[in-house]
Amino acid sequence: MSNSYRGSVLTMLTPAVGLIGVFIFVPMLLTVWLSLQDWSTQTGFQTARFIGLDNFSEIFGPTSIGRDFKRAFVNTALYTVLSIALILPLSVAFGLLVHQRNVAGGTILRTVLFSTYMVPMIAVALVWSKLYSPTEGPINQMLGWVGLGPQPWLSSPSTALVSIVLLNVWQQVGYFTVLIIAGLTQIPNSLYEAATLDGARPRQQFTAITLPLLRRTLLFSAVIAIINAVQVFEPVALITQGGPVGSTNVLTFHIRRVGIERAQGGLGSAMAVTLMLSLIVVIFALFAFARRNDNE
Amino acid sequence: MSGAGDESVRQGVIFLRKRPTGADALVATLMLVVLVASAFPLLWMVLSSFKTAAETMQVPPAWLPRSPSLEAYGKVAGVISVGRSMLNSAIIASVTTAGILVTSLMAGYAFAKYHFRGKNMLFAALIATMFLPPIVTLIPLYRIVGYLDLNASLAGVILPNLANAFGIFLMRQFIAGVPDDLIDAARVDGASELRILFAIVAPNVAPAIAALALFAFVYHWNSYLWPLTVLQGNSDQYPIVISLSRLLSYNRGAMNTNLVMAGATLAVLPPLVLFAFLQRFFVDSIVSSGVKG
Repeated sequence: MSNSYRGSVLTMLTPAVGLIGVFIFVPMLLTVWLSLQDWSTQTGFQTARFIGLDNFSEIFGPTSIGRDFKRAFVNTALYTVLSIALILPLSVAFGLLVHQRNVAGGTILRTVLFSTYMVPMIAVALVWSKLYSPTEGPINQMLGWVGLGPQPWLSSPSTALVSIVLLNVWQQVGYFTVLIIAGLTQIPNSLYEAATLDGARPRQQFTAITLPLLRRTLLFSAVIAIINAVQVFEPVALITQGGPVGSTNVLTFHIRRVGIERAQGGLGSAMAVTLMLSLIVVIFALFAFARRNDNE
Repeated sequence: MSGAGDESVRQGVIFLRKRPTGADALVATLMLVVLVASAFPLLWMVLSSFKTAAETMQVPPAWLPRSPSLEAYGKVAGVISVGRSMLNSAIIASVTTAGILVTSLMAGYAFAKYHFRGKNMLFAALIATMFLPPIVTLIPLYRIVGYLDLNASLAGVILPNLANAFGIFLMRQFIAGVPDDLIDAARVDGASELRILFAIVAPNVAPAIAALALFAFVYHWNSYLWPLTVLQGNSDQYPIVISLSRLLSYNRGAMNTNLVMAGATLAVLPPLVLFAFLQRFFVDSIVSSGVKG
């Protein structure tokens, strides 16, 4: 390798690798290190004092710190599962609607669906908080038209988290629909033609051809959906503040409150490390599950 | 009408290509329902911004403003400095985007066209950061930016985001498709590597650059968690998405939903207008970068 070649490699890589190193890798390692320290976010790193796993026993312990964290963890898990359970089937259904060739208008539908993904989450949260308004909101009004009673939406502990899931699904489903469409276009038409000749009905074609060949797309979508779901912040920070009675306290909101606003950097970092490890486990499990199905 | 075009784009109408069957009617109905459900919240937002304060409080809700007015927009300007916030958002989004384009092009070029030891490992390590939620690094990052004395400044919002793995990934995908002959010919002519990248390779991946620019701009126009954390309290530097939350706290006292909706409409406009003009690039790049079957 010539020196000038090596120089070019360095020139090209240094800006990106340097920035990502300093602002992502170093902070990630610091998070792991800080999770083992007693440290206030308002002071320099040199004031950190090693306390082993105390932060972790605290956040999983019986005190209010532990109760709040565990509640936030469960809320986030619930939020993630509900989001995926809605987003994946809907995006497949919408993808099929856009992709079918019998009725035109697919491109318009795709554009409108995807446009919601461009809307700042803060605006989504503001608008939906008004749509959900129990008395002046149009959603309860429409429920009334079809004979359903008014729902409390964001104001009740039993419905608040689901309400946030729904506005998140509304915002994100268009993005996932486009991913699904990308997967659908890669399925050769000849498979469907052969199946039609063999007398396979549309539903059989869907379960025997479409779903199996979308498996990789669905796996990829599920991973992205998980990563997106644990980032939910704006609706909680702006509208519910984690309430009512802790029902929408999710991890991104909780970790920021503990680690930045209350400046308990050690505790917040332990929570962040727990989140990171959980994500790694879940994503590896998903991939292992997909691989096992591939082999069958 | 020619039914030959594969993309049956007929702007504005859902029309039937063949003799409609029952199934087609069902599909058309479903499409219409999804379309309406998808567009409704934003329509409601815009309509509400033209209402009077009293109208937004009506039970049952009034769907259309009786006498549409721009009054709410004028009032928004009285509560937050709209111009300043929009300018801050524009600075954050455009400077960050410019940085991402440059760093992604350079690194993407290296990963696509150079051979060096540890290339695949380095690439994998960078890609892994795509799956790291920002909250995981937020606490130490906040401190690091404090060390750099950039807290409460736009520079502090911008600097940590000047490079990202998605951009590198996207650029590598597309630059890999640029013929080596083109690059070798320029090298023979004595062009420097940076010149080759920006004068020869970049124009060949222009659609991907447009897509990345739009993604980055919209993402950083919309981003909330990091600016909120860095700018703590310095409202002069707030981007529009953070200023909006001040409208809401103002609104709690006065109950002027129309104000909040007017503010939200203003914040939504730039990303949506960009998207309207360039949505083809967005969608194509997701299709080609997202999933390789």
